[in-house]
This record gives sequence, structure tokens and C-alpha cells, in this order.
Amino acid sequence: MKTIDIFGYSFSAIKLRKLRAALTILGVVIGIAAIVALLSITQGLQATITTQLQKGLSTNTLIVTPGQSVLGQATSGSGSGVGGSGAGGRGFNLGGSSSSSGFNLYVNYTQKIDALSPEIEGSFAVIQQSGYVNAGGVNSSVTIYGVDFAQYAQQYSKTFVAASGTIPLSPTDNETVVGTLVNDPGQNGTLLFGAGDDIGIVWTNGTTLPVVNETYTAQVSAVLQKIGGFGVGGPSDTGVYIPLSQAESFFGTDQCSMIIVQLKSSNNATVTNVSKAITNYFGNQVTVISATAVLSLLSTVFGTIQLFLGGIAAISLLVAGIAIMNIMIVSLIERTREIGILKALGMKSRTVLTIFLGESVIIGLIGAFVGIALGWVLANVVAEVLASGAFGGTGFRVTPLLTPEVFLGALGFGIGVSVIFALYPAWRASKLKPVEALRYE
Amino acid sequence: MPTLVEAVNLQKTYMLGKVPVEALRGVNLKVEAGDFVSILGPSGSGKSTMLNLIGALDKPTSGTLLIDGVDISKLNDNQLADLRRRIGFVFQFFNLIPRLTAQDNVELSMAIADMNKAERRKRAIELLETVGLKDRVNHKPAELSGGQQQRVAIARALANNPKFLLLDEPTGNIDSKTASEVLGLIKKLNVENNVSIIMVTHDQHLAREAKRTAQMFDGQITSEVVNQE
Repeated sequence: MKTIDIFGYSFSAIKLRKLRAALTILGVVIGIAAIVALLSITQGLQATITTQLQKGLSTNTLIVTPGQSVLGQATSGSGSGVGGSGAGGRGFNLGGSSSSSGFNLYVNYTQKIDALSPEIEGSFAVIQQSGYVNAGGVNSSVTIYGVDFAQYAQQYSKTFVAASGTIPLSPTDNETVVGTLVNDPGQNGTLLFGAGDDIGIVWTNGTTLPVVNETYTAQVSAVLQKIGGFGVGGPSDTGVYIPLSQAESFFGTDQCSMIIVQLKSSNNATVTNVSKAITNYFGNQVTVISATAVLSLLSTVFGTIQLFLGGIAAISLLVAGIAIMNIMIVSLIERTREIGILKALGMKSRTVLTIFLGESVIIGLIGAFVGIALGWVLANVVAEVLASGAFGGTGFRVTPLLTPEVFLGALGFGIGVSVIFALYPAWRASKLKPVEALRYE
Repeated sequence: MPTLVEAVNLQKTYMLGKVPVEALRGVNLKVEAGDFVSILGPSGSGKSTMLNLIGALDKPTSGTLLIDGVDISKLNDNQLADLRRRIGFVFQFFNLIPRLTAQDNVELSMAIADMNKAERRKRAIELLETVGLKDRVNHKPAELSGGQQQRVAIARALANNPKFLLLDEPTGNIDSKTASEVLGLIKKLNVENNVSIIMVTHDQHLAREAKRTAQMFDGQITSEVVNQE
């Protein structure tokens, strides 16, 4: 029997019991939709975070922070190298002006780092402290960064950009640059202040007893463009930027949170070698973060999440598979006589097998396509709800991503499960003896 | 005249649970091209077993059965299926596929034999015309009377130009008036189109319509009679 005739016959059998077929297909649809929705959201999230990270962390940059990484293993301390295979077991520790081990980074360590390797273009320190700004009688929580404006602007040329005012490259002590959420916390155009206005900058000094609120008045030179998301070590929408020297005297310390190292090249060997050199120099007491290491860590984390979520969704597809098997066995019993007729007319056993498998392929194919479409719609609805901030959403926009791998994988998985669970009923149908099948009432 | 069916000392034993049942106990029969033979017997005489063997649906326990010169006990399942395409089976209960139209039912046996769509479409309509159902091609079995269904079944059986038609109580499930019409069609096919026919029945009157009648009893052919016109 020709393939097209076999499929035509399979299709006529499915068409006969529309409701039953629709319910069977629905099982596949739900399973596939769940897989596609979950994977396209997590992949979208990963892509969004990756883009944000790349904005804040260029590949020729290393961030040195005090203390060992979360798992007690400095980034480049592992033998596999930073840009190398996988980032399993590496953690990272951002911010925090001191480490639990008591090791601190100081502003003048930049000179020591610069001398470590000819591959280093330069380095600069960032002092970071949480605090408040006071403007128009309103206190808002911010992170205060002490940075060299010129170096910072060069390093973060895409994000440390003024929306209004001008970033001063050699600022006076009381000049400041703020993130957009600092002067427009509601993101609704109601500005607390503008460029040129004075604001109060406050931090709570806990090193003295009783604690003291240290404060000074600074003039806003520039408000940054909206950055969005979260920058690792890079500019932030809730950041207040003051000159490094001013930060040292305001916070009363030259201890810094991180040192940003610019490399002459972004190739893996350079990143690995310099990371190693810095870690060794500080006796494994610092963590060196590179974009490659963070991205590979992220991809490991997301890989695990996807496997977990995909696995859960796959279980529902498994249930659909069992339903297919159940339905096909019922169908096989109902159609025993029909199979007898087909065999009496000279149909071969393998053709009977193909007819039943053909029915499962049609069910899987329709189920997979509808499931992928439904999953995609679902992912976009969820993303929309998350972005709107309703139902406890974050207001953080994730654009779902349907990669060709997920598309083809879902298609293959839907058809595969359908066919695998139809194998046994189809095999039983093909093995029916014509004499007995014809006698069946 | 070439021999279509030749049974020599044909035996078939079934296991009914743990009890062996000897359905055929040494049957000898010869059917030649152009013949119209009826196999007559009461229920339990072994005629259904005979039908299954001649229809290549089953294999004998011992003895030989040559169909179109081929010993069926030497064939595997696939070869038996191929052989069945050269046998035109007509069942007592019509056995049409309920969801297919008359035309699609006739086409089905040709589709199984790998005939292409255009060719089998044309032939299906011709055949339905031959059996007098020209205006019923798009009707499903449920929309046809018993006699009409049996005529569709005959058209289907003829579709692949079979070596012979194998009829199982062809009028057993239709009223007597329609039955005589169907019988008329069968006889016409035999006489005018030279289609060889083997008919299995328990009905003596029907059996006498054939050219020859083989009387079966208790798993054996007890007599063979040439019927008068």
C-alpha cells in the first residue's frame, strides 16, 4: 500500500471519532504547551539577563572583589580556567566593602594590579556604600558609588551616559551624577529634582557608637539615561555617583568594594592568565569575575533550571502518552473485525502496523503544532503579566524566546511520545490472525 | 483448463482449549478455471474451515492445498497476504468498512494492491456500474440495503481481477427477492465474464444453482454432484 494511501486511511479512522481524537490530541497539546511555555520563558529570561550583563560587563574587563567566592573557591583558582569549560562550582561575591576573612581591598591597590601584567590596560577602584539622598523633603534609598568619573565613563560608555546635564570628567568634590530612578522614583515623569539642583547625600556611619548619619550637600551635574535591569559592577538606575576622593573622605576610608581591571585583549588566555595572576598575588583572598565566567555560570544555572522545568512538563506529556496507548488499545479492540477484513483483502501485517502508527503520528503532529502555538501564546501572556506588575509580578520585562532547538525538540518529542506509546497497540493489531479477527463480533 | 484449487487429503485440527477438534479429515477437491462449485454442508461439517483455507486465511495441519498452483503451507504471512489479493472474498455479513463510501470500499482492495489513485477510481466506478450501483457510489454502507451492500462487496472482490470469487453464504443475510438478484449477478459473472466461483453454503437450494455441488459432512466431502441446468 502506498504511503499516501496509508496516511489517508489512518486519517479517515481518526476523523470517525472526532471527540476521542480531540481529547487525545489535547493531552499532547497540554504537555507540549507546558514545555514550550516554560522553556521559552526561561530562555527569554536568560537572554535578557545575559544582555544586561554584557551591557554592564564587557569581555575585556575583570572585576576584583575582596574575599573568596561563595563556595570558597576563587574564580580563577580552579584549574579549568575562567573562560574554559563550564563554571560549575564557582560562585561570585559582589559588593560588600569587606570580606568575612578580614581581607580588604584598598584604592591604591590599583597600582599593584597594574604592575602585575603587561596585558593590563589599567584599573580603577569603586567604593560602594548604601545610603540615602534627600531632595525636596523626600528620602530615598540609593547606593552611593565613589568612582573616577573619567575612567568610569570610558569603561561604561554605553550606560554611564547623561540624559540631562553633563557628566564632569574632572569634577569638583561636591558634584554628583545620579541614576534615573533617584530623581524619578515612580518612573512617571514626576521629578524630585533636576540637573543643577542640590541634594543631600546621607550614609549611616555604623563604625562609631552611637551611629551617626553623615551628610553633605552635593550639586547634581547629570542624570543618567535609563539603564534597566541590573548591572554587575556597572552603573545602576538607583546609583548616586560621587568623585572617588570625595567618597574616601566622606566614608572616612580608602577601602574599596571592587577594582575594575581593563585588559588589552578579551581573548580567553589573557582573561585566564590575568585572573590567575591577580588571585595569586592576593593569596587567593580575592574573587576575580570575568564576563565569560559569569556568563558560563549563568548558562549552567539556567541549564539546570530548564532541565528541571522541562522535566516536570515532560511528565505531563508522559501522561498524554499513556492516554494515547489506552485509546489505541480500545480502538484496536473495536476495530478487530476491520483489521480482519483488511487482512482478508490482502493487507500485510506491517501495513496494519503502519496504519496504527500513522494515526499516532497524526495525533502527535497536530498535538505538537497546536501545543507549540499555545505554549508560545501562554509564555507571552505570562511575560505580559510579569511586566505589568500585576499578581505580584516584578514589573521586569522578559521577552519569551522560542529557539529552533526548542521548536524542533518539542515537535520531535510530541511525535516521539505518541509513536512510542502506540508501538504496542500497533504491534498487537498487526499480529491479529485474520480468521479470528473476522470472527470477532 | 488450468486448476485453480487442488486439495489433497487436506486435514485441519484445532485446539479447542485442550481438546483437539478435527475440523477437516482428509478432503480432496479440485476446482478448475471457469467452474462454479458450491460446498454444501450443515454447521460443524467443516465448510467454514474449508473456506478459510481456500481463502488463504489459514494453513492446513497436513495434506496439500494448491491455490493457483502454489502450496499454501509453504508460504509465510506476507506471501499469504499477496496470495489473498488474487482471491475475491465475499462474506455473509458483507464486511464493508462502515466509514468508507461504496466507491472507497471498492478502491480499498485496489489501494492495498498498490494500484494508483486515478486508475482505481475509474475501475471502482466501472465495477459499481457492473453490479448495478452506478447511482450509489457515494453512499456509505449504512445508507445501502443488504442486497446493495453485498453487491458493493462483490464489486470489491472483483477489483483486483481475482483468480476466483470465494463466496461465504452470499445471500444468508438478505431477503429472498434481493437474494435472487444477487444470485443472478453471480451466475451472470460466471457465464458471461467467465469468473470462476467457489461458494460455501448450508442452503441446499442455493447450492444447486452452482454447476457442481460438493457435499460436506463431518470434515469430509461425502459426495460430488453435477447440477442440472
